[in-house]
Amino acid sequence: MSTFVAALLNSLDIGMLLFVIASGLTIVFGVLGVLNFAHGALYMLGAYFALTAVRWIELPFWAALVIVPFAVAILAAAVERLALRRIYARHPTQALLLTFAFLLILNDAVRMIWGPGYQIIDPPRALTGTFVLAGAVYPLYSLFVIASGAAVGLAVWLLFSRTLIGKRIRAAALDRDMALAVGIDVPRLYTLVFAFGAWLAAFGGALAAPMRALGPAMGDRIIIESFIIVVIGGLGSFPGALLGALILGALHGFGGRWFPQFDIVWPYVGMALVLLLRPHGLLGRSA
Amino acid sequence: MQRARLLFAMLAALLLAAAPAAAQEKQPIRIGAIYILSGAFATYGEFARNGIQLAVDEINESGGILGRPVAFMMEDSQGKANVAIQAARKLVFQENVDLLMGLDSSGVANGIAPVVPELQRPFLITHAASPDVTGKLCNKWLFRNSVNVNQNMKAAALVAKELDARRWTTIGPDYAFGHQSWEFFQKYLKAEKPDVEFMAETAFPKFGAEDFTPFINAVIAAKPDGVLISEWGGDLVNFVRQANNLGFFDQDFELLMTLGAATEVLYALGDQMPEGKWVGTRYWFLGKDTPRNKAFVEAYHKRFGNYPSYNAQNAYAGVYTFKAAIEKADTVEPERVIEAMSGLEVEAPIGTYTIRREDHQALVDGFWGVTKASGDYPIRILEPMRVFAAADITPPPEETGCNLQQTAEQ
Repeated sequence: MSTFVAALLNSLDIGMLLFVIASGLTIVFGVLGVLNFAHGALYMLGAYFALTAVRWIELPFWAALVIVPFAVAILAAAVERLALRRIYARHPTQALLLTFAFLLILNDAVRMIWGPGYQIIDPPRALTGTFVLAGAVYPLYSLFVIASGAAVGLAVWLLFSRTLIGKRIRAAALDRDMALAVGIDVPRLYTLVFAFGAWLAAFGGALAAPMRALGPAMGDRIIIESFIIVVIGGLGSFPGALLGALILGALHGFGGRWFPQFDIVWPYVGMALVLLLRPHGLLGRSA
Repeated sequence: MQRARLLFAMLAALLLAAAPAAAQEKQPIRIGAIYILSGAFATYGEFARNGIQLAVDEINESGGILGRPVAFMMEDSQGKANVAIQAARKLVFQENVDLLMGLDSSGVANGIAPVVPELQRPFLITHAASPDVTGKLCNKWLFRNSVNVNQNMKAAALVAKELDARRWTTIGPDYAFGHQSWEFFQKYLKAEKPDVEFMAETAFPKFGAEDFTPFINAVIAAKPDGVLISEWGGDLVNFVRQANNLGFFDQDFELLMTLGAATEVLYALGDQMPEGKWVGTRYWFLGKDTPRNKAFVEAYHKRFGNYPSYNAQNAYAGVYTFKAAIEKADTVEPERVIEAMSGLEVEAPIGTYTIRREDHQALVDGFWGVTKASGDYPIRILEPMRVFAAADITPPPEETGCNLQQTAEQ
């Protein structure tokens, strides 16, 4: 029983963190039609900004967790205004190349600023230690990660379904020209959505920092998992990101526990099956 | 900054190369170095650069080698064999380097080994631990001055022999290094202590797994007496933190972390590295009381602000290995240099080592110890520490699958 509970908690821990990050990727794609290669680099930036805030500015971790994602979002907004905006009209591969360029630039910038070595952040004092659930001993901080992921997911869902800005974003995603025609400021909305995607990536980075070693190119692994999630769940689908992330979390949590030798292969098998059987993803709409 | 330095070094080398023929004798001896300079493992290339830089500056300040200055240039392997092969060809055929060194990954080392003879330059591996490059893939151009998997695992078995643990399991990265570590550990420990048992339940998370909790839970649930951990670098940092959170280190079993005493890991973890655990490394900066080692540690610390990692020492010693070989051969002519390197004795911070004739593996000592907090150092130190003499941990040449001696005689 306790091993099952531990595997379940692992699945949720891995899944909810990936959900926060992947939801940013899928929202940006759903609205802007841009597959942001630099999304993993924004996650990395979130972690490194948190490191700077905690270690050098000596802010408490909580403050860093609130401030850092906004700092990265502002940076992303500037990138959207100065660069990305110019190429929406062109072929999608150009946006892919541009964001890939940002990925390379950010990876090298991080190495030059923070150095190539490994660094860590301690979890906040209130969240160090473990709790026991049905015989399974589990880190308190992981519970916080699961709760944060759920809270962010709920907030994003409310934002899209219950607020005016959410309706406008959905309108712009469905039909950009029509949205423009009814007087929605679509370019501003795009900046906002891109920045929000970056906010989610950076929040994921800051949230992950007390559990994982910081190192240059740490985002490269995350972006691959995020892509897999988005493909499984359906490109551009927000509930799809949740489903995809939970599936991937379970593949690692349960698969890693009982079939560790296949841990590398599960996500790709899952993705291949979805692509073969439901090319638009489990919850995706056909284009 | 680093780029600028590299550019400057290349520019300097170019200017020197363009000097008139009269200055022929004063042309620098050129070393080409291939390490990981970008991505998640860039820290290893950085250490190697520091070590080479220090050695080259020392040598140049004291008159160079055979009266000639030494210059070096670095190329990024990106941790990929095909990139490293291209880099090696570029260094030899375009930059005309006299000597090659480097390699941080066993995969890269195994990939490049068969290509080395076509380059016709001595190639000294200073990090990659794959047994194959001084085993079934060996050739007369290839050398290594760092501890390999066999040596480190033999030392691990000698530590494990004295521990009160009978049932062993492992956690290691899911590629050649993790699996070979476990394989050699079993082989050597079984020979030392026949009544040990090796569990079928082992954990091999993928390299760069980020999340080790499922694997840590599995090992705790399996209730072993001893665990061999061959995770390294950033993976080991992640592993130790998550293991701390899960109470892994408070469990009632013995632990051996085969590369736990790597300084980059100890610096990253600080107080989070548990005390009282056995950790190994390929060089420990407090491991030798010799004047040679003390001078190196002091010079390195003064210049770079931290204590030298094994990769820094190995690269530093690598440059001095070339120096000794060229002085012995009295020329930089490649065929003569490799002749001189075979059987060469080198005085280095890690100790005086001999490069074995049969397989070109250096007979270097192995370092293990128990982690302990110290008021004098910012990182965990080893106390007690055990230094294993090369002779006790290096398998005989017959076991390596390589005999260059024989091929030479035939």
